[in-house]
Amino acid sequence: MKIEIPMPKMGESVMEGTIVKWYKKPGDSVKKDETLFEISTDKVDTEVPSPADGIVTELLFPEGDTVDVGKTVAYLETDSTAASIAKSTPAKVKEEKVVEIEESENMVVQTESVKPVEVSDSLIDIPMPKMGESVMDGTIIKWYKKIGDTVKKDETIFEISTDKVDTEVPSPSEGILVEILVGEQVTVEVGTICGRLSVHGAAHAAPKIESEKIPEYKDDSMHSMIAKSVDEASEVKSNESSKFYSPLVLNIARAEKVGFDELEKISGTGTSGRVTKNDILNYISKRNKGEVTVSKTDIKEEVFSTEVKSTIVYSAPKKDFDSSYVSGGVERIPMDNIRQRIMKHMINSRDTSVHVTALMEVDMTRIYNYIQKNKDSFSRKEGIKLTYMSFVAHASVRALKEFPIVNSTVEGTTILQKRFINLGIAVALEPNGLIVPNIKNAQDKNLLGIARGIVDVAERSRTKKLTPDDISGGTFTITNYGVFGTLFGTPIINQPEVAILGVGAVVKKPVVVEVDGMDTIAIKPIMYLTLAHDHRLVDGMVGGRFLKSIKDTLEKFDEKTLN
Amino acid sequence: MIKQYDIAILGGGPGGYVTAIRSAQLGFKTVVIDKENLGGICLNWGCIPTKSLLRNADIYDTIKNHSEDFGITVKGVEFDFNKVIKRSRDISDKITKNVELLVKKNKVDRIRGFGKLISKNQISVFDNTGKETDVIEASKIIIATGARPRILPNIPVDHNMIITSTEAMNLKDQPKELIVIGGGAIGIEFAYFYSVFGTKVTIIEMMDQILPVEDKEVADLLAKSFKKRGIEIFTSTVVEKAEVKGKKVIVTINQNGEKKELKADKVLSAIGVTGNIEGFGLEELGIEIFKNHIKVDRNSYETNVPGIYAIGDVNGPPWLAHVASAEGLYCIEKIKGLHVTPLEYDNIPGCTYCQPQVASIGLTEQKAKEKGYEVKIGKFPFMASGKAFAVGEREGFVKIIFDAKYGEILGAHIIGAEATELIGELGIAKSLEATYESIVKTVHAHPTLSESIMEAAAQAYGEAIHI
Repeated sequence: MKIEIPMPKMGESVMEGTIVKWYKKPGDSVKKDETLFEISTDKVDTEVPSPADGIVTELLFPEGDTVDVGKTVAYLETDSTAASIAKSTPAKVKEEKVVEIEESENMVVQTESVKPVEVSDSLIDIPMPKMGESVMDGTIIKWYKKIGDTVKKDETIFEISTDKVDTEVPSPSEGILVEILVGEQVTVEVGTICGRLSVHGAAHAAPKIESEKIPEYKDDSMHSMIAKSVDEASEVKSNESSKFYSPLVLNIARAEKVGFDELEKISGTGTSGRVTKNDILNYISKRNKGEVTVSKTDIKEEVFSTEVKSTIVYSAPKKDFDSSYVSGGVERIPMDNIRQRIMKHMINSRDTSVHVTALMEVDMTRIYNYIQKNKDSFSRKEGIKLTYMSFVAHASVRALKEFPIVNSTVEGTTILQKRFINLGIAVALEPNGLIVPNIKNAQDKNLLGIARGIVDVAERSRTKKLTPDDISGGTFTITNYGVFGTLFGTPIINQPEVAILGVGAVVKKPVVVEVDGMDTIAIKPIMYLTLAHDHRLVDGMVGGRFLKSIKDTLEKFDEKTLN
Repeated sequence: MIKQYDIAILGGGPGGYVTAIRSAQLGFKTVVIDKENLGGICLNWGCIPTKSLLRNADIYDTIKNHSEDFGITVKGVEFDFNKVIKRSRDISDKITKNVELLVKKNKVDRIRGFGKLISKNQISVFDNTGKETDVIEASKIIIATGARPRILPNIPVDHNMIITSTEAMNLKDQPKELIVIGGGAIGIEFAYFYSVFGTKVTIIEMMDQILPVEDKEVADLLAKSFKKRGIEIFTSTVVEKAEVKGKKVIVTINQNGEKKELKADKVLSAIGVTGNIEGFGLEELGIEIFKNHIKVDRNSYETNVPGIYAIGDVNGPPWLAHVASAEGLYCIEKIKGLHVTPLEYDNIPGCTYCQPQVASIGLTEQKAKEKGYEVKIGKFPFMASGKAFAVGEREGFVKIIFDAKYGEILGAHIIGAEATELIGELGIAKSLEATYESIVKTVHAHPTLSESIMEAAAQAYGEAIHI
């Protein structure tokens, strides 16, 4: 299989890199993680390792060239026989066409044998990929190619941002980008054709992707179970919302095919903000005049919320800053997608959960000693760092098993108690962002498994390699602000979960200990754990016992029980 | 000394005093100015005293004409007209005194006198000798001066032979013959009242039906009922002139070009009302007037002069006490900055308290069709109601007009016993935007007259049980 080697992204603001040196030339074999080339960026110089074993088939840029991030700089053939054929007669390669959007096990990869395509130029549509069951649209953040550019198969063609995740979309085939139909910063529905590739020759022809054949992420999270298709959602049901709609408004909505999602957006002028007949009729007449664009995908917000909906004001009323800051002392910075999502998320959580926070002091002596003693050997042996976080996460999983109510979700007046634990890990993103991927089935993992899970999701968060699956279906979250030196905090629950554990810094402190019946002062590594829990479901007793369980596990840590 | 207030209200009728109380509740220092007793026309010369009179009429009518139906023999039934009138006046006196107390209890200052606007936030108050007694300064002024009977030159009211409703409810002697000019609610109620007590009544209406704002079917049934009582009705008839000649008034009418002279002891001019806009400084302040009423923005009731508001009859139709109160409450709550929903003028019930009573809300069948609605009509006669049978009130019906497209209640019309009480249900249904289902699926107590509303709604959709 042919693998493309892109210019790696070395940081948020690094847009290009210069190839300083090629360590391999075409025909050379290379091992996975062996250095392929060295690059220099305005931030950092680094060596780029090979992603796999294989043979270098092509180097696209000479040393000294500066290349945009994401652009392919070389090809690697992982199949040695194919490599030799590919070099000589690439057009005759007979291969199964694999349409891949991104390497992910959770993806349903469509594998089809392609009927031989006549050798002629043909156009391939590039649709907005479906990034999850409930993701109905995506915004194109950036086109990596412009019209007329040659694209390789699997080369990133554009980057998208969806409600759940940002990702790069690879080209389904080799070809020339001939049409860009959706511009940057434009949001379109899944399946919308964003661009077209002109492909020459049968061997390159990829099956035309029909919208119903869009590769799809299998999303078995709780979210997707309650997700409604657009058609279902457009059948107006008043029980989907706590808002009251009068029988007449519902009748009109039904008759005029105003979806529930649209109804939610109409601002009501009636008593208590109720949508009146006139409100909906005005809306319909505006819609008919085209003053309102109806995007079927606007249901995305609603679909997720099992909670009470209230009118959410995302920001304070706009003041006339323009006139009061004439001197230009204020910079206006448009929020990026992630920031907007964090904002909505936080407000939604505040308006949904009844936050209460409990705090416990944990004596970390045993773990501190264990880490001090084993960190070097551990990191040598396992390739990852041994951190307090892994112990806390492991202890949390134990506590969650003991108190499954903390591992629940509220749906109306029903408690959805999960038998699986998908442990969310809050990961800070530079320069200013946050994402919460989760470790799936943490209940089945031992300390090492969890430690690996943390490193994995943290790493993939920072390298934008998360899949939508990684950030959906979480059941409990841990946020470690201790790394910034924070002693304790009162975190905000990651909806629709009902609790979040805040981990403070481990700091040596004088504490009172009892030795032989005598109180004495000792110096110990102390950590504060806070549990913010949703009082709708988790009361003080369970919250306290849950925290105590974690505390006990940590304080009574015994390496003999470690496996 | 100038008295300072947040809110000054000119006029203490059902618009003014209700607004004043709410204003004080909202924490405004409030004054209400009226030269008469509080309660306005409504409590003094309108709603309440007339309903008192009509109750006398109902009872007398039942005893005299229907006691036999109930197996009761009553001999020598008589009435004392002066006592009938006195009961009404006593009720009015008591109720207006109660309002004075209510206003006082709510810490509203009450100034008796004639208020005149001297600037956009100042009012001079004069006593009935014309002496200035107070000067008031207020941040906001609400005009609630109401309306009075309209007088046309060809019907020269002399308050003796040619009278208005005010005199009609306070006559010393019962007229033998009465001509009522105007077949609206006021004319109809007096026609009924005097007719019950034996006066020969004639109604002259310019439009093609009495109660011109009501559904034609309702008006037709009422006309039939009135004719049975011996009331003569001329519709599509214009009064050319009314002249007092000796002890009679001669009324010249013109019905489709056919002239005729009618004679009566008294003529009641009930041809509508006109806003009280004169003599208290509106012109000087440049407050805009439209068709004898103060022009306001219906979303705030503010006049063209900022800080001056006008609510109730003085700002134009519909001239109803409950509209004045509702506008006043909306106005003051809006001034306070509360979230308020503008009045839906389609959702205001109108009532006429003759027998059979007439009550309605929303559009008539004719209006709905004119507006282009495809209608679905449900109708249920009280004849088919068990309760109506039991209480001996089988006249009338409930008629509900639905929009065929969305099922909206466009209008509802009731004629019959207790119609004015029954309409409340439809008021709620309409303002909450209920559909026929909401009414039909609401379990109504049996036996009640209100079941007829449920049946009427069901009938529109072919689901009525009892017809």
